[in-house]
Amino acid sequence: MIAKMALAPDRDQHVSWAPDREQQTGVAASVQGISKRFNQSRVLEDISFDVAEGESLVLLGASGSGKTTILRIIAGLEQPDKGRVILHGKDVTDLPARERGVGVIFQAYALFPRMTVEKNIGYGLKIRRRPRKERRETVDRLLKLVRLEEHRKKYPWQLSGGQQQRVAIARTLAYKPQVLLFDEPFGALDAQTRVRLRREIRTLLKQVKVPSVFITHDQEEALELGDRIAVLNDGHLEQIGTPHEVYNQPATEYVATFLGAANLLLGVVARGCVEIGSARFPAVKETIRFNEGQSVKLVFRPEDVCISQDANLPEGCRRLANGVVEEVSFVGAYERLNVRLDLTHRQQAETEAPLYQVTINTPERMTGVPIMVTRPKPEANATRYQPGDRVAVGLTSFSVLPNYTLSRQR
Amino acid sequence: MKFSRIRHVRGFDVARPISIGVMLGIMLPLVLLPLLSIFVFGTSKGLGTFWSALIAPDAIFALKLSIVTSFWATVFNVFFGLFAAYVLSRYDFWGSNAVIVTISLPTAIPTAVAGFALLLLWGRYGMIGKFFSEEHQIMFTPYAIILANIFVTFPLAFGVIKPVFDTMSRSLEEASATIGATRWQTFWHVTLPSLRGAIVSGALLTFARAVGEFGSTILVSGNLAGRTQTAPLYIFAKFNEGQIEAANAIAIVLALLSFVIFSVLFFARDWLEFEAQEV
Repeated sequence: MIAKMALAPDRDQHVSWAPDREQQTGVAASVQGISKRFNQSRVLEDISFDVAEGESLVLLGASGSGKTTILRIIAGLEQPDKGRVILHGKDVTDLPARERGVGVIFQAYALFPRMTVEKNIGYGLKIRRRPRKERRETVDRLLKLVRLEEHRKKYPWQLSGGQQQRVAIARTLAYKPQVLLFDEPFGALDAQTRVRLRREIRTLLKQVKVPSVFITHDQEEALELGDRIAVLNDGHLEQIGTPHEVYNQPATEYVATFLGAANLLLGVVARGCVEIGSARFPAVKETIRFNEGQSVKLVFRPEDVCISQDANLPEGCRRLANGVVEEVSFVGAYERLNVRLDLTHRQQAETEAPLYQVTINTPERMTGVPIMVTRPKPEANATRYQPGDRVAVGLTSFSVLPNYTLSRQR
Repeated sequence: MKFSRIRHVRGFDVARPISIGVMLGIMLPLVLLPLLSIFVFGTSKGLGTFWSALIAPDAIFALKLSIVTSFWATVFNVFFGLFAAYVLSRYDFWGSNAVIVTISLPTAIPTAVAGFALLLLWGRYGMIGKFFSEEHQIMFTPYAIILANIFVTFPLAFGVIKPVFDTMSRSLEEASATIGATRWQTFWHVTLPSLRGAIVSGALLTFARAVGEFGSTILVSGNLAGRTQTAPLYIFAKFNEGQIEAANAIAIVLALLSFVIFSVLFFARDWLEFEAQEV
């Protein structure tokens, strides 16, 4: 039954659940220079970002990256050591949680177990001592919005995970929150429900026009839910941008590898090219911000690699090197190939700390650099490759990143 | 002995009736028969005798006094237990474990010692009692009984409420705060309803224990019939005077009261556990 409940916009539901304001400033929420320590360990360092009116921003990071702490600081459940939190132009850093008017959807929803669905939704207005009539009307409208009219008298434990989540959202919308904060909203759900619910929520948010901040460690979820994504790593903001930017032009190695798979090749900048061992990869535009001879990394995704058995690579594909197909595996939606490029590893300067240690046992593997390539099904079916086939390898898209030997040197 | 052979006789588990029988056999003389004898003896001379023993003015007074003093002790201890559980589960401070141990201590102290200790503090020449004038003395009044009841039942409500507080998810209270509730509104609308089961069972336990209190009460009350004599003291006094029927009538009432309280606790367990699982 709930599976059919796509949250399509209703004609009679053009009520905005965003707070009423005289003028829209454009920036709904703003975090400025937030730092936080717990005991001696640094959790957040100088985090700044804005959330625009009606926008949804995803804070993406592994566990322990500090994303939950940012959320709790915006909500007022935690105090930052440094920095300000601004909601619609008002500095709320020193206000307690209850005076901020922020809607938090907790991981396990935190619905009040002794209250029915409608009482949960009406709670925000009840404690604001709004007249009974207004409360009832708001609850009715919200129940309709989240399609839970027939469940209004039920208790939270009688609802499915998705229904509980919708109650949690409705409960915050009732008091027109400044911003909605979602703490790992799909963590407690199974994979299928998760995909369905995030589409529902996305539709719902576009309908209610309330700016929202999600936190998640799931990159797929981040790409689908976010108008913009902020990637966090160990308390740092690595990159903030649209899903397209973050995925296709990762600013750091961490972003490149955290969002999907990425190949990394070490090289140096030389006359508009990236020199990787014996190969010279032309990248004039991409290397312009680097000094001649600077150590860089060439980063590209498996699906951005094109291979061909003759020397003619498709148009828009820059030739990188030749290689040997080592392994072909079919993984459902696409084909995955391991290709070993005819490249020698760049020799490390004597003073340079080794970036990683690789132990290779067999002598013939000492030469060449392995990369991962994926091809969509039609392409895989058109040209089949066997292990041992020699191919020309090119890239349709890539980025060049500075190669810091120590991750702290940013 | 070939024990394993007699355990199963053609699919019939012999151990079952034997073990149940042994268990009941042990319980019978120790618990069941003493309780039964109260009822058998109490009604052996007819219900009329029982009834007239029950409605004797001193008997009625003793029952009333027990119930009233236990009620106030329960009210105090539930409020205090709730407050102390809140403080101790929400704030971590230096010495908080020592406080928890101290609160739990009264159960481990013999009740006669408790009564004696109260006399030393509140008595005519006690540490606090000596500042009170003769007509404002607390000992040997119903207030002394309440004090004694509070002392001996002190940890019961706290002990039931504290674990529920500890396991309660903080996110409920945090959710309430972000929605805009004050601390008090959060406590009233969110925290308290989740504690309902613990409060009810804590109160029943405290009350049941206080109604039956003897050791401390006999020391601090003065055991004056019609003035400071509680039901257990009445039973003891009448028994000493040889009025077995009078003692027995009150004994039946007290036994029934405990029985009712524990039935409520037992059968309400589904309800109480249901609370716990939801939190």
